[in-house]
Amino acid sequence: MNRKTYFALGILLGCGILVTMIYGLFFASIPNEIPSAQIGKKAHAFSITTFSGQPVTLEGLKGKPVILNFWASWCVACRQEAHILERAHQRYTPQGAVFIGIAINDTREASLAFIRRFGKTYLLAPDDKTGSISLDYGVTAVPETFLIDKQGFIVKKVLGAVDRPTIEDFLNAQL
Amino acid sequence: MFAAPNRLRMNAVRIILALLTLTIFLPTSSILLGEDLEDQVRDISHKLRCPTCQAMSVKESEAGLSLNMKNKVREMLEAGSSEEEILEFFVERYGEWILREPPKKGFNLVLWLAPLILILVIGFIVIRTLLRKTRTQKTPPVTPLTAEEQTKIEKDLNRFQSD
Repeated sequence: MNRKTYFALGILLGCGILVTMIYGLFFASIPNEIPSAQIGKKAHAFSITTFSGQPVTLEGLKGKPVILNFWASWCVACRQEAHILERAHQRYTPQGAVFIGIAINDTREASLAFIRRFGKTYLLAPDDKTGSISLDYGVTAVPETFLIDKQGFIVKKVLGAVDRPTIEDFLNAQL
Repeated sequence: MFAAPNRLRMNAVRIILALLTLTIFLPTSSILLGEDLEDQVRDISHKLRCPTCQAMSVKESEAGLSLNMKNKVREMLEAGSSEEEILEFFVERYGEWILREPPKKGFNLVLWLAPLILILVIGFIVIRTLLRKTRTQKTPPVTPLTAEEQTKIEKDLNRFQSD
């Protein structure tokens, strides 16, 4: 190999590294967002018993869009979204949507106090002792909200406080 | 007279043989207990990234979700799951992102091999360039003498000889 070939190889290698870096920095993922392995997948089945004692299974909600929210009483962003979720529930549940809130890493007393304080009336339940439901959904922090379509597939995950347009856009398309 | 002790001895041998056979054919349990279980929990947890505080492993983190993950690992080990099955469980739910080391298979091999290949290529180029330089320094190009230079050298040599 002559000097020209080495030079060409060096340029090629340098370009390759540069392209990989640009791809990794700007196109491979959004740096401030954790990728979810659940999007587009069938939502994991679960069964819960709400704080008021009502048994609920995801299987039993087939054909209805579900807003599945993971929350905790100690989480500040959960306070921020509490009224948004409650208002959306008041508006969309009569139309056929289902709102579920699962409290994780929280005590029953603290969860109930939070529910009373923010006047939450949709289906609210604690996760089990090992947090199986939140682990099944790959929850990374609270609050996190999963939008599940009528066929039972996860369409979107919202990390942090969910906003009104996100819920409205999803449910208006589903109902 | 010796029949009874012989029979006893034979029975004892049979029992020992039966017990030995049982220990050979009984399935060896993979279920861990006590300190072994905790060691394994720590080992697997160290391979998982804390979802809340990403710079740490699940083993090091005290975040609620990490504690849940540790409990899940323990629960799965107690149920007889292998390390591979447990890691697969978390990858299926969180994606490969949850592993602190990308698995050495598929496209990920590029990540593991690229630095090595890069070092080898650069090393090869450096060594080759150095070798070439040394070789050229050792054997400088020989340029033939001009007629004028040749005459001058011969003249000088003759002068030395005559001296």
